[in-house]
Amino acid sequence: MAVIEINGLQKSYRTHKALDSVTLTVERGEIFGILGPNGAGKTTVVECASGLRKPDGGTLRVLGMDPRTRRRELLQRIGAQLQEAALPDAIKVGEALQMYASFYDKPADWRALMQEWGLAEKKRARFAGLSGGWKQRLFIALALVGNPEVVFLDELTTGLDPDARRLTWGLIRDMRDRGVTVVLVTHFMDEAEALCDRIAVIDQGRVVHEGSPGELIDRSHADSLEDAYFTLIERTV
Amino acid sequence: MKGLGNVIAIELKLAVRDPMAAFFALAFPAVILWVKMRNGGTLPGGLPAIDALVPMLSVFVVGLASLVVLPATLAQYRERHVLKRLRATPASSTMIFGAQWAAHMLLAVLGTALLTVIGLAAYGLSGPANLADVVLAWVLGALSLGSIGLLIGALVPSGRAATVIGLAVFFPMVFVSGAMSARETLPESMRSIGDLTPMAPAVQAIRAGWEGHPVSPLTLAVMAAIFIVAGGAALKAFRW
Ligand SMILES: Nc1ncnc2c1ncn2[C@@H]1O[C@H](COP(=O)(O)OP(=O)(O)OP(=O)(O)O)[C@@H](O)[C@H]1O
Ligand SMILES: [Mg+2]
Repeated sequence: MAVIEINGLQKSYRTHKALDSVTLTVERGEIFGILGPNGAGKTTVVECASGLRKPDGGTLRVLGMDPRTRRRELLQRIGAQLQEAALPDAIKVGEALQMYASFYDKPADWRALMQEWGLAEKKRARFAGLSGGWKQRLFIALALVGNPEVVFLDELTTGLDPDARRLTWGLIRDMRDRGVTVVLVTHFMDEAEALCDRIAVIDQGRVVHEGSPGELIDRSHADSLEDAYFTLIERTV
Repeated sequence: MKGLGNVIAIELKLAVRDPMAAFFALAFPAVILWVKMRNGGTLPGGLPAIDALVPMLSVFVVGLASLVVLPATLAQYRERHVLKRLRATPASSTMIFGAQWAAHMLLAVLGTALLTVIGLAAYGLSGPANLADVVLAWVLGALSLGSIGLLIGALVPSGRAATVIGLAVFFPMVFVSGAMSARETLPESMRSIGDLTPMAPAVQAIRAGWEGHPVSPLTLAVMAAIFIVAGGAALKAFRW
């Protein structure tokens, strides 16, 4: 069953066309990767689907709901880790998790989540004093605190050390195994290859390639997704 | 309104942790009280100065929390994408406003309590003659000035701009409305300008209740009207 259905999605910022026409479908329980160069429109797709931006045209359904008309209801059932976000400087890790949990009808146990993501030792640390990687872990935990059916993760491993990155991969697989659908925006090809069931490559506001990592590699006669990516992107420029 | 209590508690902690906010709302008014009481004495009309100063300065505290600290917090949250992150949750803008208002008003309650305690302990303050009237006037003052602060915070793009605008609105207003110098000591021309500011009804109503005079229903109605108009405008103008 499709959890996200996007058809001919368009979005312009003033005169700049960020999404020309994006069409893609994400099935329940898969890890769906979105790849593409800087400025391709990946974040814009995620922000439209998670109700943060109003698209100009096309159709959009997440869990069968249109984020434009049933935003509040949808936000109870999805979680997002945004590329661009912050918390108040003086808030402590534990306070942030507790506060975000209180917004949801059926929240996860924030203390358990804090343990799971290795944040317990930082419970009393202030947000402003956290390193980039710790902030990132906190944002991932905040994306999950509402017990979402779909999570959007926009460049989630950017800034993580190799250990934390591997830990995160394991936890994302766990999430999928529990039935959560994951939409993952990334610039790391090894990450996409290791985690994603299917991938969409976006360039200049359009989906230019779609398929499993294996299919994309075969299609471009490459050895790895990294090589495949360069071949595929080159063909479209 | 899910999570409202939680957000209020955390926002209050954040306000108290912020040295600037704590200084402005707690220490600064106490220092003004001390400076003013060095001249001490009685006001024209015979009222002991302390019995006017504590209610006046309670409006000063509410004004500072509402017009300076609150808009700066809100605008800084927008500038730094704190609001953007909240927008991806089911938290509503009404809830964010309500929590910001309540947390900053609790800060003002602390400031008012501190002034009262200092007044009682050091300067022989007489307690409020009509506590119910004082509380009603204080709450309406907090609602009206708070909604103006929310409107500033909704419109202004950056935390720095909000502080500048907040101070530019706050300081002239406290001087002419009688929140800093007693109304009976202000020149007539200044007082008539001051009466046009949204702080004047709060000063009049709280002082009247404190001294046990009847509170003019007009002042209460004006504060309620400001709250409805400015609060509605703030909700309409709000951007995440
Ligand atoms: N708020 C905005 N106002 C104006 N233009 C914007 C805005 N947000 C994005 N854009 C533009 O829209 C285009 C797509 O941006 P988007 O952030 O979706 O790209 P992206 O694929 O996520 O890029 P990156 O890999 O750098 O994160 C870019 O050209 C960007 O400059
Ligand atoms: Mg992006």
